[in-house]
Amino acid sequence: MDPHLRGLAPGGQGRRGRRIRTVVEAYGLIAPSLIGLVLFLVAPIFGVFALSLFDWDLIGTPEFAGLANYRELAGDDEARRAVVTTIYFVLLNIPAQTVLALLLAVALNRRLRGGKVLRVLYVLPWMAMPVALGIIWTWLFDPRYGAINRLLGLVGVGGPEWLSSSTWALPVLASVNIWQYTGYTMLILLAGLQAVPRQLQDAAEIDGATPIQRFFKITLPLLRPSMFFVLVTNTIGSFQMFDTVFVMTQGGPAGSTNTLNFHIYRQAFRLFRAGYASSLAVVLFVLILLVSVAQVLYFRRRTVYDFS
Amino acid sequence: MKRVALFVVLLAGAVVSIGPYVMTLNSAAKTPRDVLTTDAWQPAMPPTFANFATVWSEYDMSGFLLHTLIYAGAVTAGQVVFATMAAYAFARMAFPGRDLLFWSYLATMMVPQLVTMVPLFLIMRELGLIDTYAGLILPSIFVMPFGMPYGIFLVRQYFRTIPRDLEAAARVDGAGTWAVLVRIMIPLSRPILATLATITFIQAWNNLIWPLVITNSRRTQVLTVGIAALQGQFASQYHIVLAAAALALLPLVVVFLLFQRHIVRSIALTGLK
Amino acid sequence: MKPMRTTTVLIAAVVVALAAGCGGSDDSGGSSSGGTVTLRYAMWDEVQKPPIERSLAEFAKRHPSIKVSIELNAWENYWSKLQTQLAGGKAPDVFWNHVSYFPRFSEQNVLTDLTPDINADKLDTSIYDPKLANVWKVEGKTYGLPKDWDTIGLFYSTKALQDTGMTPADLADLSWNPVDGGTFVKALQRLTVDAHGNHPTEAGFDAKKVKRYGIALQAPTGQQHWWNFALQNGCRLQDRAFGRWTIDQPACVQAIQFVQDLFQKYQVAVPASVTNPPNGPSLDQVVGRGQAATAMEGSWMLRAFNTALPKGGFGVADLPAGPVGKGSVYNGLSEAIYAGTKHKKEAWELVKWLASPESQRIITEAGTVWPGISGLNDTFVRAWKAKGVDVTGFQKAAAGTTMSFPLTKSSSVYVEKSLDIFNQVWLGKLTPRQAATRINTESNNAIQ
Repeated sequence: MDPHLRGLAPGGQGRRGRRIRTVVEAYGLIAPSLIGLVLFLVAPIFGVFALSLFDWDLIGTPEFAGLANYRELAGDDEARRAVVTTIYFVLLNIPAQTVLALLLAVALNRRLRGGKVLRVLYVLPWMAMPVALGIIWTWLFDPRYGAINRLLGLVGVGGPEWLSSSTWALPVLASVNIWQYTGYTMLILLAGLQAVPRQLQDAAEIDGATPIQRFFKITLPLLRPSMFFVLVTNTIGSFQMFDTVFVMTQGGPAGSTNTLNFHIYRQAFRLFRAGYASSLAVVLFVLILLVSVAQVLYFRRRTVYDFS
Repeated sequence: MKRVALFVVLLAGAVVSIGPYVMTLNSAAKTPRDVLTTDAWQPAMPPTFANFATVWSEYDMSGFLLHTLIYAGAVTAGQVVFATMAAYAFARMAFPGRDLLFWSYLATMMVPQLVTMVPLFLIMRELGLIDTYAGLILPSIFVMPFGMPYGIFLVRQYFRTIPRDLEAAARVDGAGTWAVLVRIMIPLSRPILATLATITFIQAWNNLIWPLVITNSRRTQVLTVGIAALQGQFASQYHIVLAAAALALLPLVVVFLLFQRHIVRSIALTGLK
Repeated sequence: MKPMRTTTVLIAAVVVALAAGCGGSDDSGGSSSGGTVTLRYAMWDEVQKPPIERSLAEFAKRHPSIKVSIELNAWENYWSKLQTQLAGGKAPDVFWNHVSYFPRFSEQNVLTDLTPDINADKLDTSIYDPKLANVWKVEGKTYGLPKDWDTIGLFYSTKALQDTGMTPADLADLSWNPVDGGTFVKALQRLTVDAHGNHPTEAGFDAKKVKRYGIALQAPTGQQHWWNFALQNGCRLQDRAFGRWTIDQPACVQAIQFVQDLFQKYQVAVPASVTNPPNGPSLDQVVGRGQAATAMEGSWMLRAFNTALPKGGFGVADLPAGPVGKGSVYNGLSEAIYAGTKHKKEAWELVKWLASPESQRIITEAGTVWPGISGLNDTFVRAWKAKGVDVTGFQKAAAGTTMSFPLTKSSSVYVEKSLDIFNQVWLGKLTPRQAATRINTESNNAIQ
């Protein structure tokens, strides 16, 4: 028997006493985080469901509105567009970021000279303050004064009016996100790659598998746990993108970057429609729940993912 | 030949990674005129520190920086201490509801910060903590991207790699749970605690939404809120906003480079387990 | 191991900082210690801060036990922040108030009625322009005393005029019409020049390589551009005070169309992709950089232009006349006292001081904004005369046909929606009719 579980074994008075003490101590150790999470996370989640049934400007008296907010939401073009925009952003973001990270990880897995330094350089964008990045990338994408269009000009291409264009603004935001998180993603995938046993690769090579076959038949399936982690956390992360929208576009032009997250913020803290904002928050919550569950189910099919 | 090509591509990637940092620092050191007329990659000749001085004193970057240090520091301290405590319980102690609780903790990681913003604001109003450091710091200890559950997970995984014999020996000598945690587990877990501290510090330093909602006076204004306001006010006056952005980024770049070995390793670790 | 020691130091430092920080937070909000009261005073204009600080120094001499701490948030954040503060029950004791948010605030009971104090102190309110003072009165209650007023003018760069061979007189008495743009557009076409020296009316004009545009336009609400053309075209933004929005009426749509024409058809305005908020530079910067010869702006921008351009570098001309004549948007601010303040008496002392001739003289002499007290207008004129700028045009505009901000409870909806939607009109991506209809509908829907 696992020695630390001894407390659970049936026994005399002394043992039960110790067992109870362990439980008390354990909950004592957990208490701060548990209280914090309940007060600042669990309670607000219930709160948001409750608030969504009211009409309230946060100052006057809340008025019970039943499902009126949800009915309004169903007919709100702006909200529907915000959902589409959010999903579009995730789609612009996640595949590009993951593929790029995977290629980099495979390349760096070859133990090149200077690989360690490169790794650090790639991860450097990860810790940058998104607000500051928003400022910097607004400047880089400035049609007249920015580096991007001046670089394009050098090769004779006239760049678009990035952030003023409803076609380009969201891809610009996505590219900032990709720039920031590709290195981080690469690092996780690289660790996954390094955990793939060399012998498997060698065995496959002896069997005459081409490098590409080896990659798809051996490496990628074994990379599943890392891939799962990366996809789930990055998808949730990009659903939550807020800072760069706040700094770079304020949801414009023509609502093209008005993500659900930003839309909620505007309804709550610009128009002070706490109830309606809460109903939107419920939608965001459910959306992320669905996506997460879908991803878990997909990966669970063939991987036993062990968190313990 | 193939190797050389690969290396060149990887190098180009590295240039893209750090290019914006370098160009920002470079351009922030230019005169207001040169920022607009010269290319971003053209060196500042001669470099000027006037823009940094302006944002530092006139636009209160020094204040923002101080407030952010207090905020990020306190959040880091709170999270590291509480996460370590909980991690020990989850890693080593048997108690009813342990696994359910642990999974519930992990599940909260997917709740977006913005979903809970309005109710959280109202809770803080009830507690009378609007526009106070306590109101700014307390919720951030528990709810941020990479918040408390992530910290607990990270430390718990590390605790589980520590041999139980060490604890058992201490227990025989009569050490209680707290003594074991403080005298044995924590000293052995320095690298992971340093990593958690760094990651938490970075997250708090960069956090915009909560400070934006909960703080509103000069006394509590942090960097993110401060420089976002500068960008609104001085849009396209790049010499000002770039200097502010550079000052907001630099401290973290230094922190990151100091701790890069641990951070790189721990990021790798999160994916593996 | 090194990181651990660093972490220990870090955590220690933090605990100390936290203690200090939390301790320090106790005196946030208006507070009193040792008989001294600290008032929080919120404003949005950086340019006005120095003269106000001078005035507050005088205030401190008279009221040594009242300290004032200024909280500055630029216009872009001010309203979101102020309303969050009001919702949080921690608003500044005294704050700048604007006509567009005033109706909502008075309904939410977040403002203090000043009438009892005015009567108790036998304050002479006849010194204020009644047009300004009456705005803040609702159902026998007074929620503010006039701080300032403003109208809109045509700021021009003297260098741009010289380079074109024009004089300030060429900008006087211009007129516009929805058909061919009139003399206003002709003047702007002369001022617009491409890299080869061609004007928009000439063959070979290269719209992609414009060296300098005739005009720069930027207005988050419409106050500094299309509202003025609307007034000059006989359009009314709402049917009556606290009534419904009417910006979808033909006269209004025509005015919006004219501004779009300045951008798109006549190509005399700096492209909207440059000037559109939130990333567009302020217009003093645009004119200062030589990108535009003129800009329509409010009188509160005088000091910004004075800083952005060299000495003698700018002047102000009258707005053009439209189909129904001249006209400008006219607006004024007040200082409001938060209903939840713990220091009502001290807050009233501050508001009384800021509305007093002594304080307004200090601020007027700096030339930041026109004063709420009519008798001080000449002081403002003299202040700018000393700098070589004739500002009497703003006064003329104020005395002529004017339009105020609409009085409505749906301003925040109008403001929030119109920014992005009108940006699209100036970019040529949305027709004036579509935009006007959408904003009109949504703003009216928000009125309950």
